[in-house]
Amino acid sequence: MISLLKRAGTNAVLFAFALVVIVPLLWMVFSSFKSGPEIFASPWGLPSKLHFENFAHAWQTAGIAHFFLNSLIVTVATLVVLIPIGAMAAYVFARYPFLGSKVLFGTFLGGMMFPQFLTIVPLFFLMNSLKLGSYSLYDTKLGLTIVYIAYSLPFTVFVLAGFFQTLPKDLDEAAMIDGASHSGVFWKVMLPLAKPGLIVVGIFNGIGLWNEYSLALVLMPSEANRTLPLGIANLVMVEHYQSDWGALFAGLVIVMIPVLIVYWIFREKIHETMLAGALKG
Amino acid sequence: MKTHFLALAVASASLGVLIGGCSGGSNESTADKSKHLDVVSFQGGFGIDFFKQAAKEYEANHPGVTISLTGGPRVWEQLRPQFASGTPPSLTWPGWGMDYWALIYDKQVLPLNDALAKPAFDGKGTWRDTFDPALLKLGEYQGQQYELPYHYNIMGWWYNPDTFAKHGWAVPKTFSELIALCPKIKAAGMAPLTYQGQYPDYTIKGFLFPWVISIGGIKAADDAQSLVPGAWKSDAFLQAARMIKQLRDQGFFEDGANSLSHTQSQTDFLAGKAAMIPCGTWLESEMKKTMPPGAKMAFMMPPVVDGGKGDPSAIMIGIEPWIIPTAGSNHELAIDFYKFMTSLDKAKQFVTECGTLTAIKGSDQAKMPETLVEPARLFRQSKTVYSIQFDTWYSTLGTESKHAMEALLNGSNTPEQFVDRLEAEAEKVRQSKKPIHTMTH
Amino acid sequence: MRNRGRTAFIVTYLAPATLLYGVFVIWPVLQAFGFSFYKWSGMSANKTFVGFDNFKQLFHDSVFWQALEHNALIFLIGGGAILVIGVGIAHAMQGEGRLTKVLRSVYLFPNIMSLVVVAILWEFVYDPNIGLVSSLMRLFDGPVRAGAPPVDHSILGSATKALPAVIVTFVWFAVGFYIMLFSTGIRQIPSEVVEASKLDGAEGFHQFRKITLPLLWSVGRIAVIYLVINTLNVFALVFLMTQGGPDRKTEVMLTYLYEQAFVNSDYGAATALAIANFVIVMAVSGIVLRLTRKDPAGASR
Repeated sequence: MISLLKRAGTNAVLFAFALVVIVPLLWMVFSSFKSGPEIFASPWGLPSKLHFENFAHAWQTAGIAHFFLNSLIVTVATLVVLIPIGAMAAYVFARYPFLGSKVLFGTFLGGMMFPQFLTIVPLFFLMNSLKLGSYSLYDTKLGLTIVYIAYSLPFTVFVLAGFFQTLPKDLDEAAMIDGASHSGVFWKVMLPLAKPGLIVVGIFNGIGLWNEYSLALVLMPSEANRTLPLGIANLVMVEHYQSDWGALFAGLVIVMIPVLIVYWIFREKIHETMLAGALKG
Repeated sequence: MKTHFLALAVASASLGVLIGGCSGGSNESTADKSKHLDVVSFQGGFGIDFFKQAAKEYEANHPGVTISLTGGPRVWEQLRPQFASGTPPSLTWPGWGMDYWALIYDKQVLPLNDALAKPAFDGKGTWRDTFDPALLKLGEYQGQQYELPYHYNIMGWWYNPDTFAKHGWAVPKTFSELIALCPKIKAAGMAPLTYQGQYPDYTIKGFLFPWVISIGGIKAADDAQSLVPGAWKSDAFLQAARMIKQLRDQGFFEDGANSLSHTQSQTDFLAGKAAMIPCGTWLESEMKKTMPPGAKMAFMMPPVVDGGKGDPSAIMIGIEPWIIPTAGSNHELAIDFYKFMTSLDKAKQFVTECGTLTAIKGSDQAKMPETLVEPARLFRQSKTVYSIQFDTWYSTLGTESKHAMEALLNGSNTPEQFVDRLEAEAEKVRQSKKPIHTMTH
Repeated sequence: MRNRGRTAFIVTYLAPATLLYGVFVIWPVLQAFGFSFYKWSGMSANKTFVGFDNFKQLFHDSVFWQALEHNALIFLIGGGAILVIGVGIAHAMQGEGRLTKVLRSVYLFPNIMSLVVVAILWEFVYDPNIGLVSSLMRLFDGPVRAGAPPVDHSILGSATKALPAVIVTFVWFAVGFYIMLFSTGIRQIPSEVVEASKLDGAEGFHQFRKITLPLLWSVGRIAVIYLVINTLNVFALVFLMTQGGPDRKTEVMLTYLYEQAFVNSDYGAATALAIANFVIVMAVSGIVLRLTRKDPAGASR
């Protein structure tokens, strides 16, 4: 009897929590189908009629397809470079201690703690001065990608170092006795074992990059290169001035969908990863 | 190891080329630099289409000239680093988030007295003559013109004339009429007054200063803005604060107004939940898309204080300034383009298309939306035109005044505490080394 | 044999990350640190050297201390709530029921939403007229007495309710990540230990307290460090929801920093504040790490 109550209690808690998490999302989706005045008149009710034109309007006004592509290019490019070099550095920190490695590692972590928007002005100067002929890195997808990689390194290195550290100590000994070089051990043995960690780091970084706003705002202002969060934020603020709340919510839903889809596809993987990565054997 | 590394390097390089190539064009202009203008404009209620079109017209009339006109709702965030690195645009309207005066003190803004002394666009008289002098004066510092007004807004109260007519309510002209009217409005199920709680400058401009001026005359406000010692705790300020408290205590403000954004409170007003709201002449264009059917708005002056010595025709305006950065390129061209924008024809076109008044004399003869007619008329007839500038001149005093207003409106400060903290901050500004401006009428 | 090419390996493998990080992160940070010794508007090349003036000014700035207090409250109350809810939900999610499976799919949702969305959403939840919370509050209002001042249902506009409201939103947004962290930690507990404790008669809450909790210690340390950083550096959510208002009741260090840099155009003061913030984060992290060094259950891994 007591265990039944315990189970009911646990379920109640879980249910309440699930509600708290899902309801706001649902609310956002419902609102995106309402007309502007309706959002204020009956914010918690179901839409009286499905205003699909909100989405069309947001899509057109915000030029979403174009921004979507820009975001995709930048995010993928960042991850493609970030994960390998992050893993490489993390591996060294985890398994090749040397004089000063702790300090260097600490520097990586420390950089995470400094408020980003204060580095924007020096970063701006830097991007303008790094030139190839008459092209500077300012206002280019390449420039933004490089900055994104640099700023994502601390988290990536930190998490992956943790993963590499949990791999068995004698694994590299064994591999080297078999004739592998340091790098051979890394690419052929360690990295595959750390795959769960790579996936987690890839997904969390990816989501963060997809939603990134402040660096893109300053370093890539032109419309041709604009990323999705900027396009949507512009839409939000322009609509704020024009009070088209229906289109505003539709825009927010549009920007969220890729994130949700990726998360949904990988949700079991993420959970497995936390499980697998944790089992150090 | 070497093979892997090489592979990685090649991959990165090709990726880099790919991305670089997709950059959407070079980021250095290929046009003739001496005939190119970069113009950046804040993008608000009426967008930037008008300015874009003006740029195209100018290009058509001046072969060889290219103008790149861009904008955004938070464009000052992009402009700041550009100013810092000495690469600002040639002409810009940075928007409300930019600290203009820091730029001016830092000599980053081109002085324009000389340009204004030159002939106007149509050749008749000087360029300076084409501007309304009261508006032009707001952009001056130490006798030099820095900010150029393009359009301006008038601040006041708004009400729904149909609602008032339906209930037989007269528009209150004095505070005592207002106090007598409010219970009747409440009895009809509406909140008499609402306001944009999240942005206290609406209430500072809509309630506080009009009443300070009504009680103590324009000098009471001018002295405060000029940081005359004791001006912020003058009798006029204390009494005005008490009037605001009275409205709150008697329940004449909409419930929860303190948390409302400008769109929320304005929507409440248009939906008939509240009878009156302070706002500027941008109200209609801002709310166009969320207006409930049948909503109407009309302008009214804030009710004056009975027996007050201030000019009852005193009217509050605000300009939206354009500047020419010193470090921008092609000053002469920028000035010429702005002159074109401020020509009478273009100014009239702006009034009609964007539903906003401009600083150019005679532009109010253009066809304008109905809601602008009354404020424009009141502006023409007014004997005292004034503007709130202390918040842009002294940012800390501006911030503190907003916080003090929040505290007064939510009851955590008494009127005495309210004026005391304003005077305290004014004293801090006097002690600091910031330049002091003087406002006179 | 192990040492052959070890140094070359270390250098080559650290180089790309360190180079990028050094040039694009560390160098700008150092430059920004340098600005704290100047009076600079941030909008032109004109700087004046003022030595430690910015730091002296900061020490005497009551707004700074007020903001720090709010950060501390967010850390202690918000962080505390996150730890309790994080561990609790993680533990409750260990079963295989259908509800648990559903929850496992959705608990990270808030964490992956953009902060703009979260802020707008919760502003509506807290809306004094149409919001969920105020509707609940209205149920508890007494009858209206004629002539009495109206009951104020403001939340984000209220001097007393604003900060708690922001903390609630923060917890809602952040807790998913910590649930995941603790879930990992719980799964790491060797099943033999769990089985052994069951044989000894430990059940439910008792088992939780004596076995699970102590073994979550190392994960808990990581969680607390993350919380220190995220609460002391909280910015976007507060900025979007209240801008530090009303009347600075929700002001935090970073919103004040933003104000100094971009409203008051005092870049030197802003960077001095950034350095102070940085030092505080390091100090608190250090204290936490030191305090939690011992593993009280004695069960080493």
